[in-house]
Amino acid sequence: MATTTSTQTERSSQVRIHLKSRTPDIELPQDTGPILVSTDLKRFQLSTLVNRLLDTEKPVPLEFLINGQFLRTSLDQFLTANGISAETTLTVEYVKALVPPLYVSSYEHDDWVSSVDVLSSSSKAAEWAATGYANATPRILSGSYDGLLRVWNMSSEVVATGTGHNAAIKSARFISPTQVVSSSVDRTICLWKYDDSSESKNGQASLTPSLELYGHKASVDHIAVHAPTSRLLSASADHTIGIWSTKKNEAPAAPETLLPDTSTSNKRRKLSSSTASTKQASQRGPLRLLHGHQSQVSSVCFDAHDPTVAYSTSWDHSQKTWDLPTGTCVDTRTTAQSLLSLCTLPSMSLLAAGTSARHITLIDPRASAATISAMTLRGHTNAVIALTQNPTNTHQLVSGSHDGTCRVWDLRSVRSEAGSERVADSVYIIDRESAKGKKPSPAHEGIKVFDVCWDEEVGVVSAGEDKKVQINKASS
Amino acid sequence: MPPQRAGQKRKVVEVPRPQHNGEQEISNDALDGAMDDDADSEQDLSGDQTDEEIDHEYALDSDEVPTSAEDVEEKVRSQIERLKTAAQNADGDEPNYTITTDANGNERYVYRDIEAEYDSDDSAPATTNTIGDIPLTYYDAYPHIGYDINGRRIARPAKGEALDSLLDSIDLPEGWTGLTDPTTGKPLQLNAEELEVLKKLTRNEAPGEGYDPYPDMVEYFTGKGMEEIMPLSAAPEPKRRFVPSSHEHKRVMKIVKAIKEGRIKPFREPTDEEKERAEAELEYASYDVWANEQPRADHPMNMPAPKLPPPGYEESYHPPPEYLPSKQERDEWEQQDDEERVRDFLPQDHSALRKVPGYAQFIKEKFERCLDLYLAPRVRRSKLNIDPESLLPKLPDPQELKPFPTTNATLYRGHEGKVRSISIDPKGQWIASGGDDGTVRIWELLTGRQLWRVKLSNSEPVNVVSWQPSQEACILAAACGETVHFIVPQGHLCSPEVDAASRELLDAGFGYAASNPSKTAAGSDKPNPATWARPSTALQDKGILLTLTLRSTPKTVTWHRRGDYFSTVSPANSTASSTAVAIHTLSKHLSQYPFRRLKGLAQTACFHPSRPHFFVATRQSVRIYDLQAQKLEKELRPGARWISDISLHPLGSNLLISSYDKRLLWHDLDLGATPYKTLRYHSKAIRGVHFHPTLPLFADASDDGTLQVFHGKVVGDSMENATVVPLKVLRGHKVSRELGVLDVQWHPREAWCVSAGADGTIRLWT
Repeated sequence: MATTTSTQTERSSQVRIHLKSRTPDIELPQDTGPILVSTDLKRFQLSTLVNRLLDTEKPVPLEFLINGQFLRTSLDQFLTANGISAETTLTVEYVKALVPPLYVSSYEHDDWVSSVDVLSSSSKAAEWAATGYANATPRILSGSYDGLLRVWNMSSEVVATGTGHNAAIKSARFISPTQVVSSSVDRTICLWKYDDSSESKNGQASLTPSLELYGHKASVDHIAVHAPTSRLLSASADHTIGIWSTKKNEAPAAPETLLPDTSTSNKRRKLSSSTASTKQASQRGPLRLLHGHQSQVSSVCFDAHDPTVAYSTSWDHSQKTWDLPTGTCVDTRTTAQSLLSLCTLPSMSLLAAGTSARHITLIDPRASAATISAMTLRGHTNAVIALTQNPTNTHQLVSGSHDGTCRVWDLRSVRSEAGSERVADSVYIIDRESAKGKKPSPAHEGIKVFDVCWDEEVGVVSAGEDKKVQINKASS
Repeated sequence: MPPQRAGQKRKVVEVPRPQHNGEQEISNDALDGAMDDDADSEQDLSGDQTDEEIDHEYALDSDEVPTSAEDVEEKVRSQIERLKTAAQNADGDEPNYTITTDANGNERYVYRDIEAEYDSDDSAPATTNTIGDIPLTYYDAYPHIGYDINGRRIARPAKGEALDSLLDSIDLPEGWTGLTDPTTGKPLQLNAEELEVLKKLTRNEAPGEGYDPYPDMVEYFTGKGMEEIMPLSAAPEPKRRFVPSSHEHKRVMKIVKAIKEGRIKPFREPTDEEKERAEAELEYASYDVWANEQPRADHPMNMPAPKLPPPGYEESYHPPPEYLPSKQERDEWEQQDDEERVRDFLPQDHSALRKVPGYAQFIKEKFERCLDLYLAPRVRRSKLNIDPESLLPKLPDPQELKPFPTTNATLYRGHEGKVRSISIDPKGQWIASGGDDGTVRIWELLTGRQLWRVKLSNSEPVNVVSWQPSQEACILAAACGETVHFIVPQGHLCSPEVDAASRELLDAGFGYAASNPSKTAAGSDKPNPATWARPSTALQDKGILLTLTLRSTPKTVTWHRRGDYFSTVSPANSTASSTAVAIHTLSKHLSQYPFRRLKGLAQTACFHPSRPHFFVATRQSVRIYDLQAQKLEKELRPGARWISDISLHPLGSNLLISSYDKRLLWHDLDLGATPYKTLRYHSKAIRGVHFHPTLPLFADASDDGTLQVFHGKVVGDSMENATVVPLKVLRGHKVSRELGVLDVQWHPREAWCVSAGADGTIRLWT
């Protein structure tokens, strides 16, 4: 080959690389074969090189993965650090670079913010709705420990406030552009009718409770929604998972014992019921309560492809797979730690579960899986309490933790550790803006993140103990 | 002579009687007289004196006064007779016998008795001191120095005055010695002869006169006229001695011939080269047995050269990565002794042969080879080279004993002043806490959110909070002052069902008390010191549904596992020992005081998890009572000065005791009254200790602001002792007013512990 002669003539060493990509839109027009490049090259130079090869009109920032590791230094240093001979041909996978999500704004609350969700034209709730999300501007839903549900617009104004819960709200989700669900420490789940048609007139929307769901005997910590089948899943501290219907006529009557008895209920309840909501929302019960967990259920979610399958995690260290129509537990995977959060990674058919032992375990729920933990994501310094997948990239997810950070992970960047354990490090760390410039508090006091949501339009939205909803967005 | 006279006269003198047999009057008289003579006469040797003179002398000199004429006459007669015989004796020529006729008429010679006379030359003076062998100093106080043979006193010789003795010393008489003769008391004088003898003795000479120590040599063989003639010939030399010997000539010619023929090589000075070779040969003698080894058939007598193993991968300069030692293997190899190593090298990876460095051990190995040749030991090692650490059983690595709490996950802030007590609810969702501000607070476990609070008192601190350990109900017991409050927390913490169940449980006792009036109320004069009461409606709205008022301030509230019984201990000094420990029945609203009199001040108490045993800790001992048999089962003497807390292992056979004197004591109840293990890791008093209900963990809380977590594994079969491994020191609590961590509790399932600090914070450690 002619390149060999040139290698001898040139002073700086060179390495042969083979470029490839898994994403179809940035694939090279034709396979270039091995390219000889200087080992002095860094990510930026390689990115320009590939952009030139792709002949894009606007350069796309790219990241380069070699042997499951992102290239952060020059090629030469990378080769030395990993002990790779410069004579081998490197297979370099290039991916679209994750633009660092930068701080945009914070929404102030009166109390700790326990839950956050986003309604935008690209969000799940909008996709499920038959009509789509007509309103152009995204909305942010936040549930707070003061028992109030708030809907915000993008200019950090409260559009609507929902009062109805008697205790702290633990979870809140958009079902559709007109429907909101929230769960609370007061053992109830509340469906709200969100109406922003009047917003155009006075800038205010209305949030009215439409359905109160009774059935749990303890705090309802997490809910999952699936609008097309109008099903709700709730994870409760009474060790059960509730299946609910969002339709009033479909849901059975609420169990009498759990209804707030007017005779024994406390004063506050009476006051709130008499003053706040004159029109009593109808009360319904669960379609089914799933028993099986030995301890409080921390998180629950639907399977991404099959709405009849659900996954749940609990403090009893186990992850269970449920068949919803029959209400049976199909599979149980037991780990070594309490599992506190859950999200599905459909493209890799994995479940990510955040643990109290400060890491994220990727569980393969399929029956054929040999090992329980397929991968471990390490880096957090406190319990991982929230997980969301990147809506645009199935290999990325964001986690919120009690250590006051949200971390972005890329599952393609993996290294093997001793004991054939696959470990990944976080790609990007989002700190709490409120903690900037302050001395780090012991035990992450006051900066804990309770929930995180990743939306294509809005970015990474996280809520926490600092009474703020923080928005970080990658500047494009 | 009448014998009585002699006895009267001579008392002291013992009369020697040479002849005892054949006593005749004559001889007896004669002897007597002789004795008299010896004693009295001055010239006893004068034999030539006339008999009369002697007789007169005797008669006159005798100091005896004759008593009668008859006596005198007899005495005179006997004297005369004696003189006659004496005269005969003196005459030597006279025959020594008398001729008589015997019964047959023959002549008979009757010999006279031979008198034993002193005829030796006794020149010594007659005055011999007869006091015997005693020192003369005994007589110092007397004027005499002893007695003579006749019993007369020997007068002490007159000692001159000091001047006399001085004069005597100046005017030395001949033979003066300056000594005193001990026998006479007179100055001892020596004559010239004696002085000569002394002089000779001092010169080591022969003392006798006329002894010649150096006599002339007598030459017996060489003396004159005694010379011997030697036997050699004096003949002249023969002629043949001057003629050369033909025999010698023959022998010389033989040697010459041999030299000529070369059979004998004459000595030649060796060259330098030859000398060197000889020396080299002397130094080394190398025998390479297998130098010219020829391949041979296998045979027992043929020992082929041993085959060296071919070099392996690990000896390669570029071995495959699996042959390269890991960090741990490398460390292990470096720690090992040279002789223990399996291989004497570590595989090393060099990317190219040219990068292989020189052999670092070259010089060392040559030197050691030299030591071997010199037969010197390479290493001097002591025989007993045992590291004492290695004899200890190996403790497991803390990393293998996970999970255990390591980091502070949550901080619960809100209490003003010290947090005195905490308790995690049986389901593990909430923490209840009570502190100096008189409030009881309930917190969400992971987030640290305060869910509910109630103020029990404005002045008194909440000393204890403790959840009732049943799953069905949700009751919190909180002791504030002298009252134990039973609280069903409000604020949507428990569902209506649980709430109702809890209320029912608390109210059950009222019905029991109504139907079964207690004995004390029935008429016994003893007033019941514990009062169960329903609080005011205002308090009931807050969730306080029942109060139990004691006469003293309870500092511990410990539940039985079933949740019906609980015990309170009031350790204050003022409390009567009979009411310090109480066992209460919640369902009957009944309070019992099991001890009429308790030895020592009760500190804390707890129930056995499976047996009806009750543990009571006083300041210095722990007593185990059987509640059914109502007797003392066992007494433990941990040796602590002041016990602060005890914790029983969930299996019930091991007890942990913490003390204010910085010690943590592990008691194996099967082993005896003394601690199985003593752990001294804290620098200040230990306030509390707690076993994990399910995991093999325990933790203690100390005034030095730290918690220490230990692995404490108990094996059920009692064949193996418990393993105790210190795992982690949890720091974070601030020490305020000498107080650090006041309480520690474990999560019912997880390896999480919660600690209450004097700095007003509660911390969760995961």
